[in-house]
Amino acid sequence: MKKQLLLFATFFLLTHTVRAQFEIGVSGGYVNNYVHTNAGYRAFTQYHQYSGFTAGLVLQYRFNDWLAIQADPSYIRKSYELRRDHFFDGIYQYNLNGYLQLPLMAHFSFGGQKLRGFVNAGGYGAYWISGRVKGAMANVFSSNPDVPDDEQTSDFFRYNTAYHYDEKYTFDSRRDRRMEWGLVAGGGVEYLLHKRFRFFAEARYYYSLTDQQKNYMINQVPRYNDTYVLQAGCLFNLRHLFHGDAE
Amino acid sequence: MKMKSPVSYILPLLMIILLMTAACRKDLPQLNEPQDYVSANFNEVFDAFWTGMNNNYVFWDIDTVDWDRVHRTYKPLFAQLNINDSNDVRKAYTYFKQMTAGLVDSHYNIDFADTWLADSNSVNPAYQRKRASAGYHPRISIFHFYDTIPRHYLSAGRRGFTNTPDGRQYVAVSGTINQNILYLYFSGFNLKTLFNTDTMNGVKRVEQYFFDNLAQRNDLKGIIIDVRGNGGGSLDDLNFLLGKMVTQPVHFGYTRSKLGNGRLDYTPWAPAYVTPQTGAKAITVPIVMLADAWSVSMAEITTMAVKALPNGHFVGERTWGANGPLTGNKFYNGGQFGTGWLNLVYTSSLVFKYIDGNVYEGVGFSPDRAVPYNPAALRAGRDLQLEAALSLIR
Repeated sequence: MKKQLLLFATFFLLTHTVRAQFEIGVSGGYVNNYVHTNAGYRAFTQYHQYSGFTAGLVLQYRFNDWLAIQADPSYIRKSYELRRDHFFDGIYQYNLNGYLQLPLMAHFSFGGQKLRGFVNAGGYGAYWISGRVKGAMANVFSSNPDVPDDEQTSDFFRYNTAYHYDEKYTFDSRRDRRMEWGLVAGGGVEYLLHKRFRFFAEARYYYSLTDQQKNYMINQVPRYNDTYVLQAGCLFNLRHLFHGDAE
Repeated sequence: MKMKSPVSYILPLLMIILLMTAACRKDLPQLNEPQDYVSANFNEVFDAFWTGMNNNYVFWDIDTVDWDRVHRTYKPLFAQLNINDSNDVRKAYTYFKQMTAGLVDSHYNIDFADTWLADSNSVNPAYQRKRASAGYHPRISIFHFYDTIPRHYLSAGRRGFTNTPDGRQYVAVSGTINQNILYLYFSGFNLKTLFNTDTMNGVKRVEQYFFDNLAQRNDLKGIIIDVRGNGGGSLDDLNFLLGKMVTQPVHFGYTRSKLGNGRLDYTPWAPAYVTPQTGAKAITVPIVMLADAWSVSMAEITTMAVKALPNGHFVGERTWGANGPLTGNKFYNGGQFGTGWLNLVYTSSLVFKYIDGNVYEGVGFSPDRAVPYNPAALRAGRDLQLEAALSLIR
């Protein structure tokens, strides 16, 4: 009996919440990630930003017409590139890192009934779930034919053949810190259609406060993700979706 | 008075949190190239060396030396030394020896620039460990290969030596044993360069003999390549020598180098192959490598490559244990470096892993038929390791 009561209470609360102010939706978009670090004195070596994507759910609980809290459980690619140049041109590695991420934000909106602007601000936690490395390096045991005496060489691959790789990243528990915490801020516009659907487009910035590496060596050069996102999505107002538009 | 809603405080609060936490990122340390430190005092000398090792050394993945502990222990000790005091310079030499004693890199060698250390040996941890080990024995004399083997074992053949302008001497011997086993000995890997000289030289003559027999004879029962006492040398020799004996690429291991600054920032493992050369002939008879505790670097790598062949064998002793290839550090973003006070810290540029998945750096590669060094037999003109290799072929 107690169980039935508990189930009923839970169901009542959920449905009541849904009726009141809960919106759920999907979003997806383009990601550009930059790793805030440096290559030290590595010869002709630089880190560059790299593109990715994000896709996930949007959960929004509205307090009133201008304030809501929002959580976006999502998958996001925070990748970066390491590239060598000049004589070493052609040597590169893309680190394609996948994260499961949960931003939790205050959602402030302003403007008219249909078209409104909004600002999101809050924090996030992300878990580095997968990685892939893709690139080219010189293979010391794959020598090319000798350079004739009267010829000059223009690049490193003239000596050693390039080894192209595209493989799963193996996490190293001594080095890799897989949990990431940070701040998030964004802004955009949303458009309300028939009270049921709210379409939005947003630019967002994730500022990681967590080094991708554990603190495993003196003079460690930290690596922080700076992630820029352009995304769009749609929120469904469950109250209006299931109960009509009538107030 | 109208009360403000609690939610109106959220935005300013978030802004304050944002500003406070924005300062939570660690600073990016400036990393200077070891050679750029000014060696005006031992603080700088220590920092230059420690930084070079911290970022360039390729074996932190498997090395058991706690490099952070080295920093904590030795930085204050170096700070107390005076670089213009010969006694302190000697003390610094001892510290370098202690700091590096346990390093797994068996190529590792520090050569000092300070004139007060001109009469001191370079610091070579692998050599110091081997000298102290129970099984230590000296190298087999070069005269054993140059005189005894030709006289007692070869039925025909050639021998020769070449002195190069850099002050090195290369010795080589080739011949047949029992008419149909082809034997080759050489003291160092510089075969390709010496063969491609415009003028004839002693080693080239020996190489020509070996290659002619390899190419022209179809009655060979086996081949013995003797790299005992061979200190290694040019990587190019791997294909130059073994590439003439295979017609398909032979996968025998992997290499990886540093990519980032972190001690554990590596490239993926790239496969290591022996690549067939023009005019190569598929050798199906046994190829036996003769190697010993003084077979180093390319001598070990060549032994491993032959062992990866279905007809490959290895007779002798566990090798030295220095398998990581070396090039200039700019090529593979790691390895050897110099500082103002150290002429050269000689250390591998890449890590080598054998096809069985093991890294034999600091360990050495084991023979499939172990025959220990026997000084009494050698004095009597007998070579038990060579005889074991012959018994594998017969």
